[in-house]
Amino acid sequence: MKISSRVLFPLLFLASASVQATTVEMNVNGLVCAFCAQGIEKQLRKFPATADVIVSLEQKVVAVALKGGQDIPDGELRRALTNAGYTVKAIQRTETPIAELRERLKQGKP
Amino acid sequence: MSRWSIGLASACALAGSMNVAAKPIAFADGYTVMAEYGAGTMTELQFFYAPRYDFSLGGGHVELDSDETTKARRIDYARLNYLVHRWNLDDAQGNVYAWGGLGSATGNTFSGTVRAENAGLQADYETRRVYASLKSDLQRSSTFSHRIDTLQLGLAPYKHDYGHLATWFLVQGRQYTGGIHRGTESALLLRLFKGGAWIEAGITDGGKLQAMAMFNF
Repeated sequence: MKISSRVLFPLLFLASASVQATTVEMNVNGLVCAFCAQGIEKQLRKFPATADVIVSLEQKVVAVALKGGQDIPDGELRRALTNAGYTVKAIQRTETPIAELRERLKQGKP
Repeated sequence: MSRWSIGLASACALAGSMNVAAKPIAFADGYTVMAEYGAGTMTELQFFYAPRYDFSLGGGHVELDSDETTKARRIDYARLNYLVHRWNLDDAQGNVYAWGGLGSATGNTFSGTVRAENAGLQADYETRRVYASLKSDLQRSSTFSHRIDTLQLGLAPYKHDYGHLATWFLVQGRQYTGGIHRGTESALLLRLFKGGAWIEAGITDGGKLQAMAMFNF
């Protein structure tokens, strides 16, 4: 069967978009003070790809919801957190919608 | 020794070497405005801008009024704050800050305006339930020298989270040099903060108001 490139490329694009991360979760050290953590939100909202930001002191997690089809490189995320005065331990990309993650963190689940 | 002094000494003993206070650096590209009313002996207003997370620039105005004599100082200064080191731990954060600056001072025990130099050091440690800070701030010139040492120890009745109201109960001990106040002035304080706004108020062992407000944006 012969598939033309006009069909193949859009299909590949759709396939890659469907597995694109929607949320970046970061485990952060030093997250003890909400008054100070506002710097994290300010730094992360500067990225054009940022749709929303969650900071959980309880779970020591900072999460960024990404705009559709966009991403922020790990190095830039680490730099943003460092500029806010914190240390990033780990970064994971997930497909968990930010609303679901917010609810999960509110329930005290990591 | 007053009951509050005994309480303060006990808290110090319990806290061991922990030590802090309001931070002079907010975050990169952040502004800090602080105003403090210190029981009638010290009133201070500060404004800082932090181009990076580890230093800020700005200035302030401090008024020192002796509660023993009629001695008074009015000092305007420009200052640079530097975060010497930060420990970002799993459940805690510790900081050491240093600062220095220059300004001009007037007073009622000398004539005209004299150049004033400012230097200080602050160390702090905090978890979500325990807070401690030690700050030493020196203002000096050819005609006077005043150092204000402040120790704060705090406990939070609950663990706050981002976006929620934080509540802290603190005990503060403060000493002045240069004839502003004799002995240690102790105070009990209530601190509340949410978002970028922080207010703190209480009463000293002399029955005077001690209050501070700080805004980060």
